[in-house]
Amino acid sequence: MIAPFFKFGMFGTEASLVVAFVIGIGFGFMLERAGFGNARKLAAQFYFQDLRVLKVMFMAIITAMVGLYALSRVGFLDLSKVYLVPTLLVPDIVGGLLLGMGFVIGGYCPGTSCVSASTGRVDGMVYVAGMFAGLVGFGEVYPKIKSFATMTPMGHLTIAKYFDIPYGLLVFAVVVMALGAFVAAEWAERKFGDGSAGMTGGLLESTRRLTPVRILALGLLVLGLFALVGGDPYRGNTVSIDPRALALSAGRGVVKVSPGDLADSIVKGTEEFRIIDLRPAAAYATYHIPTAENIPLAALAPDSVSSDDKVVLYSDSDMQAAQAWFILRASGDRAAYILAGGLDAWKDQVLYPVRPAKPTGLEAAAFEKRAAVSRYLGGTPRAAGASSAQPVEPAPALITPVAPPSAPDMARPKKRAAREGC
Amino acid sequence: MTELFTLKHNPLVDPAMHIWAWQIPVYLFLGGLVAGLMILSGYHIIRDRYDTDRPHGHYVTAPMLSVALLSLGMLALFFDLEHKIEVWRLYMTFEVTSPMSWGSWILLLVYPVLIASALLNFQEAQPRLAARYPTVAGVAEAMRSRPGVASLIGFANIALGAGLGIYTGILLSSLAARPLWSSALLGPLFLFSGLSTGAATLHMLTHIEKGEDNSYGDFLVASMVGWIRPKHGEHEGAVKLAHADNGFLTIELSILMLFLINLSGSSAAGHDAAALLLTGPYAAVFWVFVVGSGLVIPLILQGLQAANRIRPTMIPALLVLVGGLVLRFVLVYAGQASHWPRIAGF
Repeated sequence: MIAPFFKFGMFGTEASLVVAFVIGIGFGFMLERAGFGNARKLAAQFYFQDLRVLKVMFMAIITAMVGLYALSRVGFLDLSKVYLVPTLLVPDIVGGLLLGMGFVIGGYCPGTSCVSASTGRVDGMVYVAGMFAGLVGFGEVYPKIKSFATMTPMGHLTIAKYFDIPYGLLVFAVVVMALGAFVAAEWAERKFGDGSAGMTGGLLESTRRLTPVRILALGLLVLGLFALVGGDPYRGNTVSIDPRALALSAGRGVVKVSPGDLADSIVKGTEEFRIIDLRPAAAYATYHIPTAENIPLAALAPDSVSSDDKVVLYSDSDMQAAQAWFILRASGDRAAYILAGGLDAWKDQVLYPVRPAKPTGLEAAAFEKRAAVSRYLGGTPRAAGASSAQPVEPAPALITPVAPPSAPDMARPKKRAAREGC
Repeated sequence: MTELFTLKHNPLVDPAMHIWAWQIPVYLFLGGLVAGLMILSGYHIIRDRYDTDRPHGHYVTAPMLSVALLSLGMLALFFDLEHKIEVWRLYMTFEVTSPMSWGSWILLLVYPVLIASALLNFQEAQPRLAARYPTVAGVAEAMRSRPGVASLIGFANIALGAGLGIYTGILLSSLAARPLWSSALLGPLFLFSGLSTGAATLHMLTHIEKGEDNSYGDFLVASMVGWIRPKHGEHEGAVKLAHADNGFLTIELSILMLFLINLSGSSAAGHDAAALLLTGPYAAVFWVFVVGSGLVIPLILQGLQAANRIRPTMIPALLVLVGGLVLRFVLVYAGQASHWPRIAGF
């Protein structure tokens, strides 16, 4: 049993929603118990009178950090499967400032406003209403600001990766920083506060006893020290290939995606797959499957795709795609698929589908759908009897399927994943 | 395109199992809610038949609200009817073995009883209106002065309410072709769900106050505050309702579990039907909205409120109402998706 459970298929989408409900209720309950439903307490930290927000948040961060580190080191968790929000530097900074301004004005962040509204506070309800209005507004203006909102992409970034420092050192540094922040916060509360907060049971309590808080701090420090010498929590460096698992998935044919399925996914705009063209750049420039990116086989490295992506590989035939599939699979448990039949099958089945000679009703309907997809992707359906071996049509045009007027009605607007707030 | 349309919508090719859309669940929910309200107000009427000094805040509001809600529900039911003009035929006969026939007669009898209940406390609850309509007030006074009449109305409320509540469940369970519905437990399940939503409605009524709190300058904020604070002097009533609601919710939860256990342990068809709710396509909605936020969380919140651990708000009542509505939707939709194993050759 290895976490994350959902990514390893322990439960389906339905069950994941139930899990999300339980976690959400638990999260809200904990926020409420910590007093985060009260805007006055939240605002008090800006005056250094009651720094419980800082303490709770830092506590949550280092608990998660040392917890994730330890669990992945003992092999319970595959850290590379944990989703990281991609960093978009400038939009993130602007968005963060906007969120901070909202926090100062309203006294809540998204999570705490829900908590506050649920406990019957009117300001929280107004805040939640404002949040929903903002979401709708953002959805409406998003097409206009899309170029800004997607600028300066830096990918799935971590501090350790960016500055090239060991993960363990970072974990230890954050633990030390957090403990320092707790001490500083208690000191500030004594100096600026009215004496109600943080007087007893703190780290600075005037006793030599090992109070529970001090035991907790020591425990975290020990875990931080363990991280310092523990090495890299990611499994990527030492991967053992399981030939039988590879043979099994190859033999069962589950590694293939049919051209029709891939075309449907492109037309629907689900962005379910990341499509990789393995041919040389010149061939790629002449024609490539819409939305595909070019990584020639010789340039393929395990880190050119993230383990979060569902990758579809194709070349002229299946051969090179199969080699690329093995390279990727050998470097970790990745969701990699081969386009069945390669680019030839794509042209045959998707771009130039042949109308059946004497179609039944169902076949005719299916062909109509395929013809619509073909025209959408820049191809031409062929009449019955045309030889599939020699396409008489000219080479297909390079197109980018960004909502042409003749888009088949199966296209759905893409849903944006909601960002998690505090 | 035409072919595709014809083929997809030809029931011989792709059978359309979902005959009942939103109308039936909405009607079942409102019918159950009114049943719950009737039983609760019947109990209050009998308890207070000699006592004219008690506050009578909801004694008129609840029956009148019931009339409005039941009418809305019956309108939804009417929308669902295929032959709308033929409605009168239901009242030309009475079939003892048909839940539909029982239901239509109960619905017809409910209205006069509701209006009589509203009249019973007209004088005390609406003194200004009573002064304007002395005739109505006279009738009300005549009824009020006879405890026997009050008892009669109370018992009629309870009997009709129970009948209405059980009928909404039995109506589904009489359809044996749907394995999910073929259980008599649906009757008590819908009855207690109706009681809990009825108690939640009364609970919400105690929270509704018209802008008496003037400490807020803004009208919008003042009215919002008015909606969520309990009325002065009715806090005790709200706590009692929360207690009653918790009782109903506990019983409902047990019946729901028994219903699913019973179904899971029965035939393969019943097992598949229960799996639709427990792990299948309706699992997320069922566990989150019916069990989670519809039963368990209100139980905890109302328990904490009754113990004075948290501030009383109308949120548990709101959750119970949403949970009751979703329960009807899930059962009606999943019921229509459940089926007996297909026989080879069909």
